[in-house]
Amino acid sequence: MKKKVISLMLVGAMAASMVACGGSNGASSDGTTDGGADGAATANVQSDDENTLTVYAWDENFNIPALEAAEKDYQDVNPDFKLEIIPQSQSSDVEQAITLAAEASDYSTLPDIVLFQDHYFQQYATNYPDAWQDANDADCDWDGLGSEKLSYSTVDGKHFGFPVDAGTAIFAYRTDLLEQCGYTIDDVTGITWEEFDKIGKEVYDKTNKYLLCMDGDGNDLFYMMLQAEGVSQFKDGKPYITENETLVKVFNTLVTLAQDNVLYLANDWSDYTDQAIQGDMVAGVYNGNWIIPTIKKVESNKGNWAITTAPTLTGKEGYASNGGSSLYITANCKKAELAKDFLAYTFGGRSAEDGQSITYDEALLNGGVIGTCAAAAESDVYQQGVEYFNDQPIYADIVEYTQNVPTVEQSDYHYQCRTALATALINVLQNGYTAEQALEEAETNLKFEMGL
Amino acid sequence: MTKKKNKSMIQRRLIPTYIFLTICSLISVFPLYWMFAAATNDTVSVARGSIAFGNQLLINFTHLKAAVQGTLWSSMGNSFLYAIVQTVVTLFVCSIAGYGFELYHDSGKDKLFGVLLLAMMVPAVATMVPLYGLVSKAKLLNTVWAFILPGISTPFMIMMFRQNSRNFPPDIMEAARIDGLAEWKIFFKMYVPIQKSIYAAAAVITFMNAWNAYMWPKVVMSDNRAQTMPMFIANISSGYTVDYGMTMLGVLFCSLPTMIVFFVLQKQFAEGITGSVK
Amino acid sequence: MEKKKHGMTLANKQLAAGWLFLTPATILIFIMSFYPIIQAFITSFKTGKGVNIQFASPLTYNYSRMLQDVIFKTSMKNTFLYLIVEVPIMLVLAILLAQLLNNKDLKFKGLFRTAIFLPCATSLVSYSLIFKSMFATQGLINSVLLKMGIISENINFLGTAGTARAVIIIALIWRWTGYNMVFYLAGLQNIEYSVYEAAKIDGANGWKTFWNITVPLLKPTIVMTAIMSINGTLQLFDESVNLTSGGPANQTITMSHYIYNQAFGQGVGNFGYTSAMSFVVFILVAILAFINLKVGDTRD
Repeated sequence: MKKKVISLMLVGAMAASMVACGGSNGASSDGTTDGGADGAATANVQSDDENTLTVYAWDENFNIPALEAAEKDYQDVNPDFKLEIIPQSQSSDVEQAITLAAEASDYSTLPDIVLFQDHYFQQYATNYPDAWQDANDADCDWDGLGSEKLSYSTVDGKHFGFPVDAGTAIFAYRTDLLEQCGYTIDDVTGITWEEFDKIGKEVYDKTNKYLLCMDGDGNDLFYMMLQAEGVSQFKDGKPYITENETLVKVFNTLVTLAQDNVLYLANDWSDYTDQAIQGDMVAGVYNGNWIIPTIKKVESNKGNWAITTAPTLTGKEGYASNGGSSLYITANCKKAELAKDFLAYTFGGRSAEDGQSITYDEALLNGGVIGTCAAAAESDVYQQGVEYFNDQPIYADIVEYTQNVPTVEQSDYHYQCRTALATALINVLQNGYTAEQALEEAETNLKFEMGL
Repeated sequence: MTKKKNKSMIQRRLIPTYIFLTICSLISVFPLYWMFAAATNDTVSVARGSIAFGNQLLINFTHLKAAVQGTLWSSMGNSFLYAIVQTVVTLFVCSIAGYGFELYHDSGKDKLFGVLLLAMMVPAVATMVPLYGLVSKAKLLNTVWAFILPGISTPFMIMMFRQNSRNFPPDIMEAARIDGLAEWKIFFKMYVPIQKSIYAAAAVITFMNAWNAYMWPKVVMSDNRAQTMPMFIANISSGYTVDYGMTMLGVLFCSLPTMIVFFVLQKQFAEGITGSVK
Repeated sequence: MEKKKHGMTLANKQLAAGWLFLTPATILIFIMSFYPIIQAFITSFKTGKGVNIQFASPLTYNYSRMLQDVIFKTSMKNTFLYLIVEVPIMLVLAILLAQLLNNKDLKFKGLFRTAIFLPCATSLVSYSLIFKSMFATQGLINSVLLKMGIISENINFLGTAGTARAVIIIALIWRWTGYNMVFYLAGLQNIEYSVYEAAKIDGANGWKTFWNITVPLLKPTIVMTAIMSINGTLQLFDESVNLTSGGPANQTITMSHYIYNQAFGQGVGNFGYTSAMSFVVFILVAILAFINLKVGDTRD
């Protein structure tokens, strides 16, 4: 019996290592793309086929349907074309892949194209310049793609990126709850944050719901509220916090909103989406338009939501953008001409010149991805009302907002700044700091991180 | 008669033990129950923490099969392959090492062991970049080797076998040597059989670690076709919107193999006091 | 003469066999661990990111930078708190459970064992989801405590520093006690029943038997699990990332989580600095493991 166990183990070890070797040898010459259970396959992220491009992308419910639409669109002009999408669990996976390839000085592990977060591109372009190929000579309708959006993907005047989604911020309100307090969507459009606070307190008293919510850990409110004022958290590449009057005002506004039970600060991202939004704790959401699918998950609130612009300190309508990503060609792409032609045709707006584009229309229908291309917004798909939002044509509205977003100074330390300010806010609300102390500490920590 | 009485007395004495173990078990199992329940609910109910069973199981399963380009079964297959290869190779390499370190120990080997122990004390994040470079230069990315090589020889497993070899009586070895048995035969014929319980425990732990490994496989298995189950789960559980009902069903699929392995092997390492070493 | 020669070869053979047994494992560790570790050590003297990385002047720049890093100090404090509170509770509970389950007369042993082991077989995704939802402000724990009258209003467990740390500790105990129990169960197999019988005849009670027989005989296993737990806790990552994201305001962040953030979490990594921080973790673990081995790992 015991002998049996041992011999079984040994046979198992040998068999397993043979499977492993055999599998890896056998499959390396095998270029087909059918996904079998043969995990030992020496799979490659590059395809030998001259009409096939590979791309890293994340989010099956959002970006990936957009890429599938683009593939279909481009097959109109190039029927042999194939786009092999390699799904990643989140944006940071792509960033990590670039980092590892660059640090190992071996770009052969990268796909032809990557989807990349806008806020991160500049620092990856500065620190790993060899990882990218510019797309300046691509045949795009650059002027029609939104200048604020393109500012993220342009380095030294050269275009690198093809915009996918706009990231334009929306302020969504529960109109039924507003109504209970005697307000309409127009009453919350173009108001000051002070007025917003007043309405918010009333809403909380009457309905027990917060009029604003945010992930308290990755707090994007600072960035959006400042951009709506046309101000940045950075000035000449340095943190611009304690001396930034607008920022101090925004900070104090958020403290007041949180103390008045108008703003709910969730503990983290999933608490924000699951408990706050889907758990029906809030009457208002302010974020990039990619938050819409999350709002729509709650079937029972259909018809009760409407979107508008954000309040500002002065009472003008606030336009901002948050998040959003673009497609970039990596150094490893040996079919750069094909890649540029494909991306220019689809996400570069060329196929949208006649006002009807499969890419933009289906990206919107299947993924809820709202592009930045002005021409595409004239299509019927963009113009139609959305049932969930009480037949408001929200997509056309968002495209209109996009054109008004002011361009503000960007920094490689965007997310570090976000963390520092989020920490400052919690320090005031929980740990007894004054606003001055908290912001002072945030600026010190941020400068430390930047090595200043 | 007296014997029977005696037995029931022992049982009564054990009542507090039963109560304590039952409470511990319930606390441990509750999340598992929750996972089952969640797999039958829609995403909003799961996010709201519902603990009742729902009627969405089939819908969730349909969604799960279609998720991540329909790679559920291939991910399962990959995970099984990698975890089994990893377990078999690790058990072999680490058990002979632990045996060597303990039963042939001298000051040189003890020092070497101390040095090897250092290998587990550096956070993985520090060695990730150089290790990736190594694997990438060796052209092993997306192969089973990239997955298993860094995990085959772990100081922990060696230590586990080394510590437990301490109960292996040296007299047995001496006796075997006098009988003219070769060194490697002593290992296979004398040592392995009586260390069954340690092998079983080591197999459970290694299989579980290999099955649940995420960070390293994620960076070296970049191709869809090499994707493992935890990567599949990560793909469906992050994103701007997550379908939690479907995710929890996926998680259930992902948790079952380790549970089954444990259930099958546990008898080997915990069937009461046996006194097998003699 | 003849006999002596024979004895020499036998001794040589034994010596060779001993080294041969540990060769594969040793070579693998040298290539797969020590080579990258040395690389990382060299990197820890560099500064800058990406193509701009170069040796720092002074070379110890990253190490002195750490002394001014407020968040790194916070993360160190948090990590040690988890270590001091969690490890002893977990290990004692694991031994206790193993001892209880090692009772000949106990029924349903397999069931109890499996149940208690299950938490560590549960995948991280479901584990973090479950804990987050149970400890949510509107969650199960809150409503139970509220009904029992222990609290008067809902507590935001994961949003307040003290309670968030407590949740992390509870989660760790929940997840890893069964895991450690497995080692003790395996270790208990090698204790002969006759030892217990003898103790019983000598009139030792359960507690005495446990303390005077079980614990000393389990000592090698206890040393091993203690080193593992110390190592695991000082490198703690999953719980901090998945349960609290290190928040609120970095009050629950662990050292490994902070290092990861600096390396991969916020854009292009500062690998010089992260390598330097990693070596500090390394030295801390090494010191504690060394003490552990000195105190407990004696062959008698």
